[in-house]
Amino acid sequence: MAASEVTVKLDGVSKSFGEFTAVRDLSLSVRAGRVFGLLGPNGAGKTTTIRMIVNITAPDSGSISIFGRKIDAQLQDRIGYLPEERGLYRRMKVLDQLRFFAELKNVRGKGIDAKIDEWLARVKLSEWKNKRSMELSKGMQQKIQFIISVIHDPDLLILDEPFSGLDPINVELLKEVVLDLKRAGKTIIFSTHQMEVAEKICDDICLLNKSQKVFEGSLRDIKRSFGRNSVAVRCEGGDGVLDDPALVSKLVRHVDEAQALLTEGADAQVLLKRLIAAGAVIGKFEMVEPSLNDIFITKVTEAG
Amino acid sequence: MKKFLAVLKREYVQRVRAKMFIVSTILLPMVMSLFGIVPALIISIDTGSPMKLAIVDQTGKMYDQLNVAMFNEAGQQDTTNQPRGRFGNFVLEKVDAAGHSTEQIRNDLDRRLRDKEIDGYMILPPDFLAHGQAEFFNRNPGDVISRRLLQSALNRAVREQRLIEAKVDTKTRQGLFQPVELEAVKIGATGQERDSGGSFALVFGIGFVMYLAILMYGQVILGAVIEEKETRIAEILFSSVKPFALMMGKLVGVSLVALTQLAIWGLAFSAFALYGVGFLASRGLRANIPGIPFSHFIYFGLFFLLGYFIYATIYALVGSMVTTAQEGGQLAMPIILILVISFYLFFPVSRSPDSSFSFWVSMIPFSAPVAMLVRIVTQTPPFWQIALSLLIGFSSVLLIMWIASRVYRVGMLMYGKRASIPEAWRWARQP
Repeated sequence: MAASEVTVKLDGVSKSFGEFTAVRDLSLSVRAGRVFGLLGPNGAGKTTTIRMIVNITAPDSGSISIFGRKIDAQLQDRIGYLPEERGLYRRMKVLDQLRFFAELKNVRGKGIDAKIDEWLARVKLSEWKNKRSMELSKGMQQKIQFIISVIHDPDLLILDEPFSGLDPINVELLKEVVLDLKRAGKTIIFSTHQMEVAEKICDDICLLNKSQKVFEGSLRDIKRSFGRNSVAVRCEGGDGVLDDPALVSKLVRHVDEAQALLTEGADAQVLLKRLIAAGAVIGKFEMVEPSLNDIFITKVTEAG
Repeated sequence: MKKFLAVLKREYVQRVRAKMFIVSTILLPMVMSLFGIVPALIISIDTGSPMKLAIVDQTGKMYDQLNVAMFNEAGQQDTTNQPRGRFGNFVLEKVDAAGHSTEQIRNDLDRRLRDKEIDGYMILPPDFLAHGQAEFFNRNPGDVISRRLLQSALNRAVREQRLIEAKVDTKTRQGLFQPVELEAVKIGATGQERDSGGSFALVFGIGFVMYLAILMYGQVILGAVIEEKETRIAEILFSSVKPFALMMGKLVGVSLVALTQLAIWGLAFSAFALYGVGFLASRGLRANIPGIPFSHFIYFGLFFLLGYFIYATIYALVGSMVTTAQEGGQLAMPIILILVISFYLFFPVSRSPDSSFSFWVSMIPFSAPVAMLVRIVTQTPPFWQIALSLLIGFSSVLLIMWIASRVYRVGMLMYGKRASIPEAWRWARQP
């Protein structure tokens, strides 16, 4: 697949439930072979958008095309979906469970067992193959749910908050798997409100807020457009300087350092001089790119 | 279709493999047979020595008659053909009344009763045959069974003796007591068909099994439909399979489980029944197997399935509206009520199977299974009516399942919300 090819295209899509409008006039394009981050605070319309893409619910207006076609039951088999609301059959064995879900994607026959073994080994759950899912810990269940979304080797993988509730080791493990899938040419839609994770794996992002699109584009572009107007500072004393609104528009204090977003037109050199003049002992003074989190907050507040 | 089969297979295999299923399938016939055997065993428990009864026969004619009558009452337990004063649980003793006053005899017998030499005594006064009044003295007036047996035997004895005194000969006496037999002969389209109510009983039986199957499996279907909501699997499923295929797969899967269980029980029951028939045959009794036309068996099968499915789908619909099994249980109560009412339509329909009332209830899907079967075995209606009833019924099943799948899908998108009936209707029409 060529990188320019569009896997998912939404055009003027709206969806409401009774009085409540969940998605309003949304247009976006997900390019093939890339990780597309669908980002936004809770209730922004991410899940509704995804449900329309996977054909669980239909848009009230607008059109959705996937692989260049209108969604139908056959296309569903080429999509893998890990919803945020997810569970397993409690009394069913892991193996039976995986076979069942593969069968629902029209994947059956001899090959499937080998594939199940391969995936279980990859997420380090091989010895749990014949256990009932109620015997598994929550994290293990989540990894099984992840396998369910990829067992039929989908071309489009949609992950809704895939890492929530996982420990850092497992987050790292699944993140590697996702990046491997991307390298294998799969298109991935990744929905989350955890910006730190999105920042590390997304190529493109779309910000949603209050049912509407706030921004869409490549992560690199958006960061570039914000420029290097943030400073990471670790210093003792000179606090008053960082609070000066003429220099710093926003200050976020962490445990041992602070992140200062410069006021438009302010110069970082001036800030440094002022700090020294104020007698601050400087341990770190570094120009940094804004984090996706900063961009997110700025954009969302801008949008009102 | 393949996905429907996948859902069906999972539903069936998981349930049939479950320990609960295996245990209940095996246990029920065992419990049933226990219920059959234990009461018989308990009743036959001999709680002590036979009851010793002294008979004061002041008529001088009744003792022998009573002996014969007692023999007939409890006869099956005594294999010898001669009355010997001991029948089943009774031992009779003749008290010589000659030369003693009633007062003397009573005093003597009262003493023996207190000393527990006898368990009771009966005085048949000289005018007993005319007035039919006798007295029975015993320590345990609560023993209803013995009293009833004695009364019955006395009745028989008095009747015999009165006829003898009226000079009625033995043959006439026997003829007088020959019981009548009322044989129902049905006049059908093909002429006379002998039917001793067998097919009628069969319809009642089918209605009853349907009722049982719904009671047992309605909740299971409800639970199966709710399962994906409670385990939050529904959303993954709906990204792969259409709600209608999912619901139908579940319904048919659970129903096959039900049929499997019923078939196993049916076989066990048939085995018992065959054993019973064999047992009766060995005793010289022939069980009457009613002659039922083969086409009726097909109708029995079809209408049983219709009855089962029409109620099962209502449970599925309820399941699609609620979020937990408890909620569903409450909402399912009216279903049972409709089921019971439809079952009792058996009686009015069987009285006038050709009335317009019978026609309409045999067309309404909820009452059709029992009503139409009653009509078929009484006055078989024209074929088009049977076909129409089946068509309406099975179309309703599909329609209800379609509505249920729509309601289910929208309900799933609004997690944790239970649908009211108007809401469910709105959801069903939503694209």
